[in-house]
Amino acid sequence: MKDAKVNEVRLDRTRMGKALPLAGMLLLPMLTGCVKVSAPDRPIEINLNINIKQEVVVRLTEDVRELRQKEPGVF
Amino acid sequence: MNRKTNLLLAVALTVAAVAGRAGYAHAMMQTDTSAELRATGQVGEQANGYLGIVESAPSEIRARVNAVNIRRRAAYTELAGKRRVQIEEVAATMACELLATSVAPGQYYRLADGEWRQRQGNAPVRRPAYCI
Repeated sequence: MKDAKVNEVRLDRTRMGKALPLAGMLLLPMLTGCVKVSAPDRPIEINLNINIKQEVVVRLTEDVRELRQKEPGVF
Repeated sequence: MNRKTNLLLAVALTVAAVAGRAGYAHAMMQTDTSAELRATGQVGEQANGYLGIVESAPSEIRARVNAVNIRRRAAYTELAGKRRVQIEEVAATMACELLATSVAPGQYYRLADGEWRQRQGNAPVRRPAYCI
């Protein structure tokens, strides 16, 4: 009886050994896709009152213009 | 688990993988959409550097706004790290640019007072005092 159980476990393991890598191969692309698509439940909500000095705006303006060129469609 | 269940599991996983891929491709195709979203009239530019929903919008639009905002935040975060400034400062500077150039007549924008305004004809968009 005990032996039978051990054998059963072994059998299960070999089956799992075949099924798991297969499942992994199928799941991996799905997971990487999910990471990029998933959005948080709540939208990004940020205070509209921004504390910023004009000198910082001056310093960053050229950078944000470049960023816009680099990522058209996002801005 | 017998052979039949294994097979069923494999089929189910394949279907799920294919569906996931299709969804991913769909989302990628919809990423270049800021101008498109502003043009719907349901979405506007905000002084904080992110798109906002003007009144209400169907979930499809809200999801696209979210996707764009996530990409914006990633871009702001990267630049803020490079220049050693706050993310909000980068975002606000971008907002100055976007308000000046990307709000077409009839489209909406929102400043610190929280009111959505519609750009009237070719009248310039109001911008925060710190914009240059």
